[in-house]
Amino acid sequence: MRARDLLFLFALAALVATRGAAAPASAPTADDPETARLRGQVERLRHERDLASGKGFYLRLDASGRRLSLTLQGVALDDYPASGVEWGVPEVLFVNRGPGADWDAMPFSKGRLEPERERDRLEVVAPAPAGKTPEPEASPSPPPVPKSAEETYSVPSPYRIVFAERVSLEVRSKGGGGRNRSAVQRLADAIRLRLADLATALGLGAKERVRLRVTLEADDAASLYRSLPPDVGLIVVGLPPR
Amino acid sequence: MSTEPEVPEGAREGPALSIARRVAATTGALLRNRGVRVAAASTALFLLALAGTGWDFRAVAPPAADVSVSPPAKPASREAARLLAERQRLEAALRRKVPRGTWIVIDQTHNRLRLMKGEETVLEAPCSAGSGMVLKEGSGGRVWVFDTPRGRFEVLSRLANPVWRKPDWAFVEEGEAIPKDPGDRLEYGSLGEYALYFGNGYMIHGTLYERLLGRPVSHGCIRLGREPLREVWRLAPLGTPVYIY
Repeated sequence: MRARDLLFLFALAALVATRGAAAPASAPTADDPETARLRGQVERLRHERDLASGKGFYLRLDASGRRLSLTLQGVALDDYPASGVEWGVPEVLFVNRGPGADWDAMPFSKGRLEPERERDRLEVVAPAPAGKTPEPEASPSPPPVPKSAEETYSVPSPYRIVFAERVSLEVRSKGGGGRNRSAVQRLADAIRLRLADLATALGLGAKERVRLRVTLEADDAASLYRSLPPDVGLIVVGLPPR
Repeated sequence: MSTEPEVPEGAREGPALSIARRVAATTGALLRNRGVRVAAASTALFLLALAGTGWDFRAVAPPAADVSVSPPAKPASREAARLLAERQRLEAALRRKVPRGTWIVIDQTHNRLRLMKGEETVLEAPCSAGSGMVLKEGSGGRVWVFDTPRGRFEVLSRLANPVWRKPDWAFVEEGEAIPKDPGDRLEYGSLGEYALYFGNGYMIHGTLYERLLGRPVSHGCIRLGREPLREVWRLAPLGTPVYIY
């Protein structure tokens, strides 16, 4: 009887020992690349779901799929295929500053155009009703027909959408050159950009830690610049692991 | 075999060699000057520093053709299986956000309307969105801004042969007195054959000014040409989502 008990205990101990030894192999560890990749994907999808549940517009950059979409509540309203996607970090004397692990895991918010889109609103003072003395400031004639978007906005290339989390998205036109920009404006754009790059790299002015760069067809880049809603968000998917 | 007379190498390179010698002599003379040496070295260092300061970009390569989005046959661990299921659930939830039926997208900057069915574009037409104009009432001090709102809306009501009940600004803009009788506010025909109301006084409707379609001339509503409006009327039932950006 005692021998059988001992045998049973021995078998139980052996079973526990083998399970214990096998457990680390199957348990998730930080070193399991497949699990880590899945966890990252799930985290991004959760953020995307949260964005899609909100009321704000956001850009969705699929880096490996090379698509930039203007999205509202999970619906792509406009889709821009990108011929190139890059991401960069500031460097000083050939030494770059790492952006930190999983910098792209979170969505970015409050995107604003740089340079800003200009919009002059037409102001009209209504004429006085018939029979009354005319208003001194009344507009003398009916307002002119407003210009189309193409006529209204000049589009720089490149331009940037700067987010509150010190991340920006630089949009370049394929073939270079902006729309409705004179040669002087383009030269000024290029010089301003280079100076801004130097200043950012040196930690002066805008503190930017990561810049994404997409190259779009010229029409698409111009269209996005003209119609980008204010305070747009950004979520990045498909960046390869580093 | 060439019959040309052979030209000595030195004779052919004479001028080049002469220029090179002069450049070397001048450079040597300059470099013997300590000040010039220091300036040249400083400039070189500055240019090198400038070249190495800025942004360091790396391209994102498109995925290799054999990288599949489909899940692996057997997850590596229980945790991986759980994450895989969670990923599929979230992806499905995001896919469900895209309306399956008819939906409308309006780009108010470019004044384009798209009628969608699922992921297919059924119709694309020029429209007229809000002009962005600011109207100031001279004596009353009221101000109106003629913008089209952005966001997601729904078709809340549909009207055939709509009658426009003119708001105050319509009279102020024309320099007319605001009528006391509500019946004097009604205007027939100016909204076209149909109107699809999507809230806060905004509608998609027809126009008498089709030549201005493609330009932002409205007071905030979306004006559409006769034929596209008929198509939108036919295909967009109550509850159709309207996305305006």
